[in-house]
Formats: sequence, C-alpha cells, structure tokens
Amino acid sequence: MAMAEIFAKYNYWIYITLMMIGLYAMIAKGNLAKKIIGMSIFQTAIIVFYVSIGAKKGGATIPIIAHGHEGAEHVVRAIDYVNPLPHVLMLTAIVVGVATLGVALAIAMSIYERYGSMEEEEILERIRE
Amino acid sequence: MIWQFDFIILALALICAVASISLKDLLSAAIVFGAYSFVMCLLWTEMGAVDVAFTEAAVGAGVSTVFFLAAVLHTSRQVKPRRHGRFFYKFIGAAAALAIGGVLLAASADFPTWGDPASPASIHVSPHYIINTIPDTAVPNVVTSVLADYRGFDTMFETSVIFVAGLAVLAILGRFGRRTRDEAPAEFAAVPVAGQSPIIQAACRIMVPFMQLFALYVLAHGHHSPGGGFQGGVILAASFILIAISYDLRAMIGRLRERWNMVFASLGVMIYAGTGALCLLLGANFLDYSVLHRILPATSPIMARSHGMLAVEVGVCFTVMAVMVLIYVNIASHGKSDKGL
Amino acid sequence: MIAPEQYPVLIVTVPLLSAFLINLIGMVDKRLCYPASLLALGASLAAALAVAARVAATGTIHYHVGNWPPPFGIEYVIDHLNALVLVVVAGVALVAAIASKRSVEQDFPDKRAQFYTLFVLLTTGLLGMTITGDAFNLYVLMEISALTNYSLIAMGGNRALVGGFNYIIIGTIGACFYLLGVGHLYIMTGSLNMADLLQLLPALFHTKAVLVGAILMLLGAWIKMAFFPLHGWLPNAYTYAPSATSTLVAPLMTKVSVYIMIRVLFSVFGAYYVFTVLPVKGLVVWLAVAAIVGGSIFALAQQDFKRMLTYLIVAEVGYMVGGVWLANQWGITGAILHIVNDAVMTLCLFLFCGIVVHKTRGHRLENLRGLFRRMPVTMAAFAVGALSMIGVPPTAGFFSKWYLILGGIDAHQWGFVAALLFSSLVNAVLFFRVFEIAYFEPAEEVHGHGAAVAIDEAPLSMLLPLVAVAIGLIVLGLYSTSLVSTFIQYAVPAGI
Repeated sequence: MAMAEIFAKYNYWIYITLMMIGLYAMIAKGNLAKKIIGMSIFQTAIIVFYVSIGAKKGGATIPIIAHGHEGAEHVVRAIDYVNPLPHVLMLTAIVVGVATLGVALAIAMSIYERYGSMEEEEILERIRE
Repeated sequence: MIWQFDFIILALALICAVASISLKDLLSAAIVFGAYSFVMCLLWTEMGAVDVAFTEAAVGAGVSTVFFLAAVLHTSRQVKPRRHGRFFYKFIGAAAALAIGGVLLAASADFPTWGDPASPASIHVSPHYIINTIPDTAVPNVVTSVLADYRGFDTMFETSVIFVAGLAVLAILGRFGRRTRDEAPAEFAAVPVAGQSPIIQAACRIMVPFMQLFALYVLAHGHHSPGGGFQGGVILAASFILIAISYDLRAMIGRLRERWNMVFASLGVMIYAGTGALCLLLGANFLDYSVLHRILPATSPIMARSHGMLAVEVGVCFTVMAVMVLIYVNIASHGKSDKGL
Repeated sequence: MIAPEQYPVLIVTVPLLSAFLINLIGMVDKRLCYPASLLALGASLAAALAVAARVAATGTIHYHVGNWPPPFGIEYVIDHLNALVLVVVAGVALVAAIASKRSVEQDFPDKRAQFYTLFVLLTTGLLGMTITGDAFNLYVLMEISALTNYSLIAMGGNRALVGGFNYIIIGTIGACFYLLGVGHLYIMTGSLNMADLLQLLPALFHTKAVLVGAILMLLGAWIKMAFFPLHGWLPNAYTYAPSATSTLVAPLMTKVSVYIMIRVLFSVFGAYYVFTVLPVKGLVVWLAVAAIVGGSIFALAQQDFKRMLTYLIVAEVGYMVGGVWLANQWGITGAILHIVNDAVMTLCLFLFCGIVVHKTRGHRLENLRGLFRRMPVTMAAFAVGALSMIGVPPTAGFFSKWYLILGGIDAHQWGFVAALLFSSLVNAVLFFRVFEIAYFEPAEEVHGHGAAVAIDEAPLSMLLPLVAVAIGLIVLGLYSTSLVSTFIQYAVPAGI
C-alpha cells in the first residue's frame, strides 16, 4: 500500500482500534468500573469517526463564518469552512455519553452497596447464596 | 492540519485507552481516562471541531472524571485478581472485537480520502448550512445555528437525555422519605474541615466567581464563538463542584439546594420545549422561531430565529448545570446529599 | 387553536412537556403524578388516533420541524405503518399507566414523581422513534427510551440492578452500532434523512461501506429487540424489573425495535437491496427459527412465571423478524400485524403478572396456586391472553400466525413453518400447566379448607385494564382483516 494511502486513512484506523479496545473491555473485563471505562472509550471511538468525516483539507477553517460589522458583504464559500454537521451530531453523542456514564455509575454504586463488590463473578456468587 | 501532530495525539490516545483499561488501580485508571478525554479534545481542536473540543474538555475531561473519581472513592479502589480467569469472556470479547474491527476495516476501504473537500459529506447537505446560516438566522457560528435551529429538535431531546440522567441517578441512588434531605445547614462552612488546605479553599473561592462569569460569557456568546448552553452549563456546574471539593458538600448544598436543582433541571427543558410550543401556538410549526417576531418588539423573522436560539440555549444551560450538580451530589454522597467528597 | 396539521408533533411533544410538569407537580403533591400521567398519555393517544385517521383517509403525512425542508431539517413522516404503530404505543402505554397505580404505591411510594416522569419520557422516546423520518433523530430518541428504561428497571433494586447494569452495557453497544451504521451511510452520501438516503443509496449499493452500514444498523436493532443470539440481556432485566416497569417495556421495547428494523430496511435501503443484495436472507430466517425454538424450550424450563414470559418474548421476536425476511406479501403482513397483536398479548400477560405480584408478592409458578377460585375474572382475562399466545381463533394471535404460516409456505421456508407450529404447541403446554396450577393446586395458606376460598379480586385499577385488554384481543382478532386492508396492505413495500 502506498504511503499516501496510509496517510489518507489513518484516522479511520485509529477509530477502529479504539472501538476494538472499548468493545473488548466491555465484554472481557469483570470489574464494573472497567466495563464503564470501556463503554466510554467505545463511544468516543464513534466520535472520532464522525469528526473525521467533517474534516476538510486545503485551508478550511473552523465553522464560524467570518463577517464584517454590517453582516456578510463577502461571498461565503462552503469550501472555506469544515463541515459543521458532524460536530453538531457529536455534541449530542458526548452528552449522551456523559448521561449514560452517570446512570451506569449510579447503578454500579448501588450494586456495590447491595452486594459489596464491583467484580462480576463475586456479585453472581453472592446472588446464588 | 499537521500530520506529525495528529500522529502524536492519536498515539497518545491509544496509549491512554490501553492504560485506562489495564491499570489495576481504579483511581489511576479514572485519571488516565481523564487524560484520554483531554487528548481527544486536542485532536478535535486540531480537526477544526472547536465546539466538540470545548464540550469534551468540559464534559469528558472535566465532570466525567470527577464523577468517576467520586464513584471509585465510594466503592473499591482496586481491581481484584480473579480466581477463574474469565477465559470465556476474554475469548468472546477478543472475537467480537476482531470481527467488528475486520468488518469496519473492510468498509473503510470505500471511504473517501480523509479530509477530501469533494467527499459526499462535504458537498451534499452541509454547504447549505454554511452558506445560509447568516441569511437565514444571522448566527455566524454554524454549529450553533444547526444545533439550535436547523436540527434544534435533536437538541431538545438531547437536553431531555441529560434531564433523564439526572432524574435516573436520583431515582436509583437517592434516599427518600427523610425529612433531613433538604435541610442542609444554612450557614456557610467557613471553618475549614480537617485535612483540607486553607490555601486551596481560598484559591477556589477566588476562582469561582470568575468561572461563573466565564460560563455566562460562553453561554451568551455562543452565537459568535465556540460555546453555548452545554458548555456554559457544564462550567457553571464545575464551579459548584469545585466548592464541594474544596470545602465539602454541605457548603455547596447550602448555596444550591437539591430541590431547587430539580426545579432548574425541569425548568431548563421546559424553556426549550416551551419555546417550541409557543411557536406552535402562534400558528407556525414546532420550533419555527421566525414566528416569534410577532411577539418580540422590533425584530425581523431572521433576528427572531437568533433570539429563539438564545432562549433555548439558556434552557439547555439551566438543565445541564442543574443535572451535572445533581449527579455529582448523589454520586459523591452515595445518595445521602450530606457528607462526601 | 392548534391546526390539525400540527397534530403529528403533538403526539411526541405533549408527553415530553408533561413529563417535566409531572416532575414539578410531584414536588408539591406526589398523588397528582398518576392522574397527570394519564392525562398526558391520553392526549398523546388522541393525537395519534387523529393522525392515524388522517393517514387512512389521505395517505402519508410529512411534518417539517422548525419549518426547515428536508434533508436540512428534521422531518416527521407518518405513513400507514407508523400511524398504526403510534396508536399501539400510545394505547399500550396508557393502559400500562392506568394499571400501574397500585404497583407503584407498593414498590416505591416515595419515588412516584420520578417513576412517572421516567415512565412518560420512555413513552415519548418510543413515540419519537416511531414517528421520525430522520436517521439521527431516531438515535437520540433511542437513547432517551434506553436511559429511561435502564433506570426504570434498576429502580427494582437488588437483582434488577445487576440486570439493569448488563442491559446498559449491551444496550449501549446496540445504540452505538446503530449510530456507527448511520455514520457509514453519512460518509458515503452526506445525508441523514431517510427519504433522501433512499434516493441516494442505490448508486452505492455495490460498496462495502453501505453493506457494513446496513449490517451495523441491523445489529443495533437486533440487540435492542433481543433477537437470538443477542437476547442474553432480556430475561434478567425484565424478570427482576418492578411490575409497573415491565408492564410498559415488555410489550413495547421489542416491538418498537422490530418496527425500527422494518423502517430502516424498507425506508432507507429499500426492498431490492434488502432481499437481493444483502447476503443474509437465509441466515436470518434460520436465526428466527432458532429464536422461536430456543425461546420456547427455555420458557418450558422455567419455574418462575415472569421469567417464562420473558423467554416467550424472545420467541415472539423470532416470529416477527422471520416474517419480514420471508420476503413476501404474507410474511411481511403477518410480521406487521404481529407487532400489533403481540404488543397487546404481551400487555395482557404482564398485566396479569402485575396482579399476581401485587397479590402474592412473588412471580414464581407456585404463586399462582388457587388463583382461579380467588380471582375468577382476572384468570378469565388471562386465559384469553394465553389462548391468543397459543394462537386459538378468534383471538388476535391466531390471525397473525396464520399470515406468517401462509408466508412460510409461500416462501418454502418449511423450517420456519415447523418452528411456528412447534412454538404454538409449546405455548399450549406451558399455559395449560399454568392453568392446572392455578385451578387444581390449592393455595398453601388455605390448604385443607377445600372450596371455601373467599373471592379476592384484584383492585379495579388493575382489573379493568386487564379485562379491557382481553376484550381488545378478541376485537382485534375479529377486525384483523379490516386492519390489514386499511393500514397494513399499504405498509408492505411495493414490488415483492
């Protein structure tokens, strides 16, 4: 594979790697807190993916329209600004992420209070007793 | 975009991700995870997603880490070594991760080159927002205009998600039916609690007003610069959380009572949905702010959209602030809302 | 006042706004939360009925939120398929809310405000998922219904916490897969609007990225609906959930997810892509067979009545997914009709289960002993639900199963037909075992007193909804042909 191709896609590879790390942690780890960390990594991986979609090479700047004092006198060209839509979508995803994190932590703490452990095996053992 | 810089950031992100899931000490894992969020925030700034970066800095690297730390301090700090190796789950986890990774890698071969200005995502819907945001809404920050207007309906539900999280944490952790719940001590805990440094307390006390001022600026200036209701709300919440950390929880609850917190949380989303419903009552579609020019003095339909967005951003700010504090209070005190971090 | 053109948005926004009000009202007086929720859900149902009537009369309705035309703004699209599903969701939620009064008072008297706020928000989420024509908006609503669902389940405490935690992990994977699938479509097309995607995608049908996007979205929906073998989270989460929660989520969550699957398949990718290009047709039908057979066998093995019902849900999901992938008129008609029927049947069974829990403080099979004498009306209503699950005419369950079997024969999917018949047989065995326990085995505390058991019926707030739903099952059965001719025949994609 040509060097150019590698540099053209590495963002996507990193997101895939992060996603695999997160997914593995969610399933393989027995500690509830670790599962939650895995879940957050999994969610941020998707954010990396979306934000990468929005990037534009070739001099595009942040999506805030440069304008004079009396409104826009100059022509606004889409090519000068990065794509704002994925940013909006990912603001939602970040917010959903923290919301899920809060609920998951609350449930994990209640589990700890009830069963005295954060380890999945120990919790299941105590349920069986 | 500088690819060398990009490379370093992405490598750091991977290192932090691996470290945070493999560290045995959960407190360290939580802090490394905070670092991971911060690295992400750099990455997004670098890709031009300033609003996302701002939110990630406030939410991911900020309050999420604090929530995590508070939760870890209330449960066990160490991951226990296991008697049975969880080989089955490790196998399933590795298999699922490899399968998904392989499938996604195959799909990425078809993706347009990263950063290609002629990719479908860059030429189909998004140019409309960039070109029309000033004529349609007079808001130069395209992220704000898409967030609060073009796709404002999503954001209303997103704010509701936040509200749900707060309510859920309260419903799961909260202890009800005790009269003491809202009777936080009225006097501000001026006497330093043992073990807490007066230097930190004094420093925090000085910082808090500036943080709150900055939060209001971020909220109000979201039309023209990165920021808006979410970021402003989180920073406001952070200022209260800072009081709770540097003094104690009671000191904070003395300033922001739980009951009021819940009222703020509901009120915020109601401002949002209520603005939408107001448009409905004025005969337009839900969330069509342009109709508000009929009741706002001296505004054109275009400026009415801008003002409508400000109204909903204020609503978002209320809810986010209240819910973040609410989640923190309940996690830090294990639902008792008294002592704790 | 508000013009009829605005009704579509009212279906979702009325319960949304009410939910926040209910939370505030609860601070003043907890007792007001219950009537306020009924009012909100009732208004939503009224709007849904009005919209459904308009769809039946004039066809598909489009509503542009914020008056932005698609694909730039978010669009609501109500066609014959989701008009029907909206009425079902709003109706089932209202009945579940009515019946929840006693259970909520018993289980969490101090958390009534929180419970009803979350309850109404969960319904809002499901309605919003059903009505939207925007792929990303669907994700946001999916998260609302998921988060409310996790917390409503976890409010049960103890084992419900563990079930709820697993559900969060798995549910987040599901939602993220869906979001990632949407991302794949977005990177290839630049659009998020379903109708727009349907126009843009055919040019890209040969790409792997679209294929992976389709698979990810399907996986997301399958995880959410607990389709075999991704069903592991469901039995624990639903069994230990508080009765008031499971009465709402058991009938609706899986059914709305099936609807999402149908919507994504036919309104984003189109029938041609799904049945001709996507190489999973045979596999899915066999997975459905496995779901039906596996769900039925596991149900047979349970000693716990509520847990048995949760495995039946897994089997029923197999019916609907399998029906869709039969890829013919009969199969898809059967699957859509079964969304309606199964929602009502499951509601009936879980309402009964709620009564059992309320009266006997347990949901094991032995809790049912002697119930025929103690609660004859309740048991009669339950019997209707059970017969419908088995598929005895003229109850509703028979008709959807009939369409599904016709579809299976037409598609020469004999395994699927055999699985349907097997599942009916197992359901018959299961429910007659339940009847036997409830009729012949005397309750322990009255052992020795013989027939001298006082009638001790369920409270009216629980009994009336159950009886109404049982009658509804028969009415649905009698009118199923007109349901098909008014709504469902237009919902089946053309050209199959």
